[in-house]
Amino acid sequence: MTAPFLEVVDVYKSYFLNGKRIDVLRGVNVRIEQGELVSLIGASGSGKSTFLHVAGTLDAPAAGVMRFKGQSVFDMNDAQVAEFRNTKIGFVFQSHFLLPEFTAAENVAMPALIHRRERRATMTAARELLERVGLGHRADHKPGELSGGESQRVALARALIMKPDLLLADEPTGNLDPSTGEGIHGLLREVNKDLGITAVVVTHNEVLAKSLPRRLRLKDGQVLDADLA
Amino acid sequence: MNRSQPIAIGAVLALVGLAAFVWAFAVSGVLPVVLGELGLGSIGWGSFLGTLGGLGSIVMAEQQRAAAQLMVNPSAIESARLAVTVGAASWIAGWFALSQGLTPAAAEAAVDSPAKGKPLFPRLANSRDFHWGTLAAYGFGLFLAEVTFLLAYLLLVGKSSAGGAVTGGLAPVYAFVVALGVAVGVAFGAGFLGAANSKRLSVPEFTIALLYFGVPVPIFLSAMHHVGWLMINVGYKLREVVYLSSLLGETRPELGYWLVFGGLVLATFLGINLGFVATASGRFDLRTSYESFVASRHVSVFRPRLVIGVFLVLILGIVPPLILLAIVSAAEAAVSRTRIKKLGLADPLLAAEELNRQRLSAQTPTAMMTALSVGGVGVGVMALIIVLSVMSGFEADLQKKILGTNSHGVVMKYTPEMPEYAEVMEKIHQVRGITGATPFILNEVMVSSEGNISGSMIKGIDPGTVGSVTDLPASLGCTAGSPCQPMEALDDPTKIRVKRLEPSPGAGALDERPATPESPIIRDPMIDLPAEKPDESVLPGIIVGKELAASMRVVVGDRINVVSPLGGELGPNGPVPKSRPFRVAGVFYSGMFEYDSKFVYIHLREAQSFFGIKGASGVEIKVDDVDDARGIMKRIYDALDGYPYRTKDWGEMNRNLFAALRLEKLVMAIILTIIIIVAAGLIVATVIMLVLEKRKEIAVLKALGVPDGGIVKIFLSEGLQIGVVGSALGLVSGLAWCLFIEKVGIKLDPQVYYIPALPVRIVPFQTVLAVVIAILVTFLASVYPALKASQVEPVEGLKSE
Repeated sequence: MTAPFLEVVDVYKSYFLNGKRIDVLRGVNVRIEQGELVSLIGASGSGKSTFLHVAGTLDAPAAGVMRFKGQSVFDMNDAQVAEFRNTKIGFVFQSHFLLPEFTAAENVAMPALIHRRERRATMTAARELLERVGLGHRADHKPGELSGGESQRVALARALIMKPDLLLADEPTGNLDPSTGEGIHGLLREVNKDLGITAVVVTHNEVLAKSLPRRLRLKDGQVLDADLA
Repeated sequence: MNRSQPIAIGAVLALVGLAAFVWAFAVSGVLPVVLGELGLGSIGWGSFLGTLGGLGSIVMAEQQRAAAQLMVNPSAIESARLAVTVGAASWIAGWFALSQGLTPAAAEAAVDSPAKGKPLFPRLANSRDFHWGTLAAYGFGLFLAEVTFLLAYLLLVGKSSAGGAVTGGLAPVYAFVVALGVAVGVAFGAGFLGAANSKRLSVPEFTIALLYFGVPVPIFLSAMHHVGWLMINVGYKLREVVYLSSLLGETRPELGYWLVFGGLVLATFLGINLGFVATASGRFDLRTSYESFVASRHVSVFRPRLVIGVFLVLILGIVPPLILLAIVSAAEAAVSRTRIKKLGLADPLLAAEELNRQRLSAQTPTAMMTALSVGGVGVGVMALIIVLSVMSGFEADLQKKILGTNSHGVVMKYTPEMPEYAEVMEKIHQVRGITGATPFILNEVMVSSEGNISGSMIKGIDPGTVGSVTDLPASLGCTAGSPCQPMEALDDPTKIRVKRLEPSPGAGALDERPATPESPIIRDPMIDLPAEKPDESVLPGIIVGKELAASMRVVVGDRINVVSPLGGELGPNGPVPKSRPFRVAGVFYSGMFEYDSKFVYIHLREAQSFFGIKGASGVEIKVDDVDDARGIMKRIYDALDGYPYRTKDWGEMNRNLFAALRLEKLVMAIILTIIIIVAAGLIVATVIMLVLEKRKEIAVLKALGVPDGGIVKIFLSEGLQIGVVGSALGLVSGLAWCLFIEKVGIKLDPQVYYIPALPVRIVPFQTVLAVVIAILVTFLASVYPALKASQVEPVEGLKSE
């Protein structure tokens, strides 16, 4: 039997508000298989983003185990974690979080540059990718000159340049109007289908959530399949 | 039990221990000296030193009493011994109690958390360890570096034997460089290994290592100079080190110890930083491809506007570029406003777009700070280069003038005369490195002319050889190779050019008698007239300085009297000063006011007869390598078999002057380094502002896969870029200023400064050193903000919007 793609076991995470402990994740157990397209829904403050951050190694849990293709992620050292984020995971956030000093193409190329790929080939790849998300003509513009939807497309291209195994999207359309958001959703589905990238999308958007094959709901610090909850 | 109780008890016990140490120290008589001298009791390891010194003096008490080094009575020693024992026990117990108090009791949670018993997040588990291995690496490494330095130096340097001659080994300078290099390597390696072990900077470990392993050695060496028995027992074995330190510290060896110690600490610190940067991320990686790419976009320090602006400020001062900037930006604003208005009247949207473009290109506060930091570093480096070059110029000028008028060294005897100077010179000429030697007689006399009187140094010289040692012929306006008229005149007084009006036939107004007396006195031995005096009209020659000639109002050919209080005859009213007339044979100008107004030269044989000295009072020497004058004089000393001869080199003869000059230079360098440190403060502020401004970007970069080490490298690189650009601008403008001073010149009053214009001499070594120091300081300055940047949690940064 092969190891599951992503396995989260007994993950606990707490916040401290005015010296009081608030347990956000209380023993989260999830299994996600390769190639799945999963939506994560839940009330505001239920811990959806926290779960996504912990799964993406951006935040440290208090306890728990996470295995990625059988490999224990939490046991990695700083360099391995950085490498893991760089090569295996792509992030898309609610806000685009592009680096303001760099052009769109340079932003897209950044993960590959961090991986110390050769500059010229990387820039070519970045331009091609921008072409694919329909922004070839905006490659040399800085983020300040791009609209919200365009920025989010650039952010998506940046998440894909390293051809990651897992795409984590945290309310990618939260700041966008419905029609622009629908474009992003379409791109996400395309990425999942054409590139075979497993994706977890945190969303408030019921329409989007319903349209995705699998739905997870975070409630009372636990993650359950929405249909069971 | 209440937690504050053990803390209070511990503190009291530790204080009691400290007091006991101090008391033991005071009884043994060392405390006032050491504490008074160093003022070190207040910064943490006073107690450690106390233990060391107190224990030492008690152990040595028996010998001490025998040698009667210190006046301490035996009962005091007894009580001090007791005090040290009690103090040590109390000190240890106190700290133990303190640590018990500071360790919080295990929290007994009222309710179990839901995660009880689950596997702890691994990196949380080992994030708070105190790394004993790192402490050992830092502490032993630092201590080892110090010991290595001492041992390596003692091993390498030439040993001075009883006779004073140095045998074998390297010269102190080379031995010092090699030993310091090895020790710096050890210190650097220790820092690197320690940081690599803990994968962090481990500041607590470094502090403990520094205070308890590093500092005691220089303390011990400094205290050595104030404690008699230590100097006798240890200082003797370390005498070469003491000698070296007194060279380094300008006669204060303590300064030398602390300078070397500071260097080693710096090396350890650099090692720690590099070790952390290289290994903190879990693998060794010193590449900086994307890091410098990101950094250069952040600081954008190579903007032509910034570089040119800072350069102009450095060259012209602050006000002219400000005026220039005001004019340019006023013109720019006027033009662009009218343009936008015109554009707006035609097409409002295009005008708005244009306005937006302008807003984007406006300078952010951080960009302003960057410019200020670059300027600060530039000013520091420029000032350092200019001041050091001018001071080197002074030093070189002074050295040139002193060595031009004086010899590089003298050989003298312990008796005032040296009748056998010819043989001595022969022996001297056989020593390697000698280019000239000439005998001399030096004495103090009064010189009087009809107009004036002045106290002077008179020097009897041998005109044949004096040119091989000093620049006197050149000061007289003679060129090498051709015969020197004033010198010949000194040899043969009849050649003195006496200004006389040409005797014209028929004119009886002038005295036409020949210069020889016509009717010699008939000498009758019975009348006992004094022996016939030498021909009065052919007076021996004398060479005087330009300033002296001016104040005496004499020119070549005039008569002056030389009066010596010594060697005169006894007259009716006591000793009568001896006086003799001379004729001015030449006037010299050395450029050194002190010499031009004080020195007169006569022929050696005149000096011999005038002062009644047989031979000469010594031999002056010129060597081929001025900087090795000391060693060559040592060789001469050995060639002459030492006593009764003695030698002195120019450094010894003018010791005060050059020591003062070097001290001044050191002080100036320290003051100017403070400018650079202030500039470094600016860099710290700038990089911290950058870190605060870029928190979000740091978080994003981390999410994209940049390890902590990469973030550190980005911000170190930002500080370094500011430092490098600032230093480069400072270097260029500093050299430009030096060139300006050299070519155009800044006039000085020679009466005050002895030289007509500000001298400047660019010494490549110290120029490079100034730049290296500046870059090093800026690098160190950006370490702290870079670490702060690497500690930004990705989640925190991503939440900020």
